[in-house]
Amino acid sequence: MKDRYSRALVQRLLVLVAGNVLLLGVIWFLMKEGSSFSQVLLRAGPNVAPVAVAGLGMTGIIFAGAIDLSIASIIVVAATIFGILVSHGFPPWVCHFACVLGAWSLSMANGYWVRLLRVPSIIVTLAGLAFYRGVALIVADVGVPGFSGNISVQDESYHAPGKVYAGWILALMLLLAAAWELFAKSPRRWLALGNSEEACRLLGVHPGRVLQSAYCVGGLFLGVAALIFTTRVQAIEPARMALGFELQVIGAVVLGGTNIFGGEGSYAGTVLGAFFLYLILELLIYSGVSPYFQELMTGAIILAVIGLDCAWHRKDQWLAELA
Amino acid sequence: MRRFVLPLLLLAEVAFFTAVSAPNINSLDALTTYLRHFVGDLLAQSAPILLLAAGMTLVLMTAGIDLSVGSMVALIACLMSSFPAGLGFWWTAVPAGLAFALFLGLTNGALVAILNIPPIIATLGTMILYRGLCFVLMGDLEKAPFVDVPGYEWLGQFSGAFAATALVFIIGGSFFEKSRWRREILMLGGNRVAARYAGIPVTRRLCEVYGLMGILAFLAALCFTARNSSVSASSLTGLELHVIVAVVLGGTRVQGGAGSLWGSFLGVLLIAVMDEGLRGAAVWGDKNLPFKISHLEYVLLGTLLVAGVWLNTRFGHRGQSE
Repeated sequence: MKDRYSRALVQRLLVLVAGNVLLLGVIWFLMKEGSSFSQVLLRAGPNVAPVAVAGLGMTGIIFAGAIDLSIASIIVVAATIFGILVSHGFPPWVCHFACVLGAWSLSMANGYWVRLLRVPSIIVTLAGLAFYRGVALIVADVGVPGFSGNISVQDESYHAPGKVYAGWILALMLLLAAAWELFAKSPRRWLALGNSEEACRLLGVHPGRVLQSAYCVGGLFLGVAALIFTTRVQAIEPARMALGFELQVIGAVVLGGTNIFGGEGSYAGTVLGAFFLYLILELLIYSGVSPYFQELMTGAIILAVIGLDCAWHRKDQWLAELA
Repeated sequence: MRRFVLPLLLLAEVAFFTAVSAPNINSLDALTTYLRHFVGDLLAQSAPILLLAAGMTLVLMTAGIDLSVGSMVALIACLMSSFPAGLGFWWTAVPAGLAFALFLGLTNGALVAILNIPPIIATLGTMILYRGLCFVLMGDLEKAPFVDVPGYEWLGQFSGAFAATALVFIIGGSFFEKSRWRREILMLGGNRVAARYAGIPVTRRLCEVYGLMGILAFLAALCFTARNSSVSASSLTGLELHVIVAVVLGGTRVQGGAGSLWGSFLGVLLIAVMDEGLRGAAVWGDKNLPFKISHLEYVLLGTLLVAGVWLNTRFGHRGQSE
């Protein structure tokens, strides 16, 4: 633990824990008579679940010095597949499985293209952001007869993972991620790759394969996130669904202290960051601020936390530059 | 090699889409009229992206990126739209917009250069922040004071768009190509530490580049509002993707240290012709394809981006290796 987390990272985790507790306290203080605090706590888990689970996947990818900007579009493709299968009357478990599998295979494809073309992952996935959205729209056009912009899913049995079990799925994923980070070798390999590709190669660790494994594991988390996201909404609208979701996820990861260029970070930070962003918005609702301020506050918080962090560690950066 | 590939590709694209979308051209006169309208519309339509691409080229040269351009243009347009229309608009809203644009650009610059935040994070943050400000400023309204400003619609026509892009690309570009300033930002993009040791004022240069991006965003906002005449808080989402794809297609390296304005110019036109062509081919698509042809735009945009970067790393910039 001690040698894996740097001082800055531990500081960030502590700040986030304190921040979350503080936010909960302020929300409790602001609550009016009649609304119950336990409801707020119970609602938080399911609401955070898509961002937090997708964030766990993204964290691993960012560890390795890569990034995935196309996750929102991947979720849309998975959701479209789900919607088409539902509209053709397949049983729920087939639809859910196809949704997870769709997101996972597209994430694997991202990793594959990054490896094959030797193009920076930010470019490949920026292209994927546009590409997959287009694919989703075309697939919806072809797959649903008389497609008119959205696929509505009425039967409640299809909504179970998002509406009933989202909190439990989040808890399970957290346990998995914690065990994974503590005991598995791959997160350390990703961190190593994020630190120095050259060193990895010299030590006999294949950079391409390690990167591919990061996208593979990230894709599994993303598949679960896509499942939760898809089954929480009543109608699947490929053109507008999940717009800006990747920013929320990257925001949570970066807020959690993971270095955006790879090589340093933690899973716990991502989850804390996701809760922090959610609680801030919840606080705004309870303090009666207009909902138009939500986006402004999200941007301001990401900038403030990271700006402060960068300003504090500016001296380290200068020293690193000199070395 | 690249120098000829892009123009040829552009010509091929124009020829292909002309053949698909306007099949009843049978004389030379008809063809020239069609092309004149096509080029005029194209330039007027893509003027905002052209202006932004010029700025983005410089930003990418410094090894940065500016994801906030779409939000920035929208925010400037929103601010200007809250001024009353009439002749007074020219000396109230326009200078206010310019000053605000400069401020927004310099904010990005300060975050990147002074606070040392990685550009992609800093501008990701400001992208959300500026978009949030749009919503705070506008709510759900859609405002259109621009139609009642005398002389404003000129900017949205061919001549106005031509004047703006010529100002940036021909006059600005010719000064830029020869300048010491260009070599300095290329160097700081190639190696920031070396640039600092070479005595280049890195912080100041970065602020200048991002500030310039702000001013260009202001010009783009002028062209955009003059053509579309109304603006709402969610206008222009996803604009940054178009701009970045265009610039990268034009041969600018995302890792910094290399790039050309001329290439970006061609890159924007390449994408604009594609958009226009797909719009023109809509009728043909409805008859022959099982999906809406406009959805192909996203797919092509993504493919073009990856193909462009791949070609850049494989064949571009001889003598530079990773």
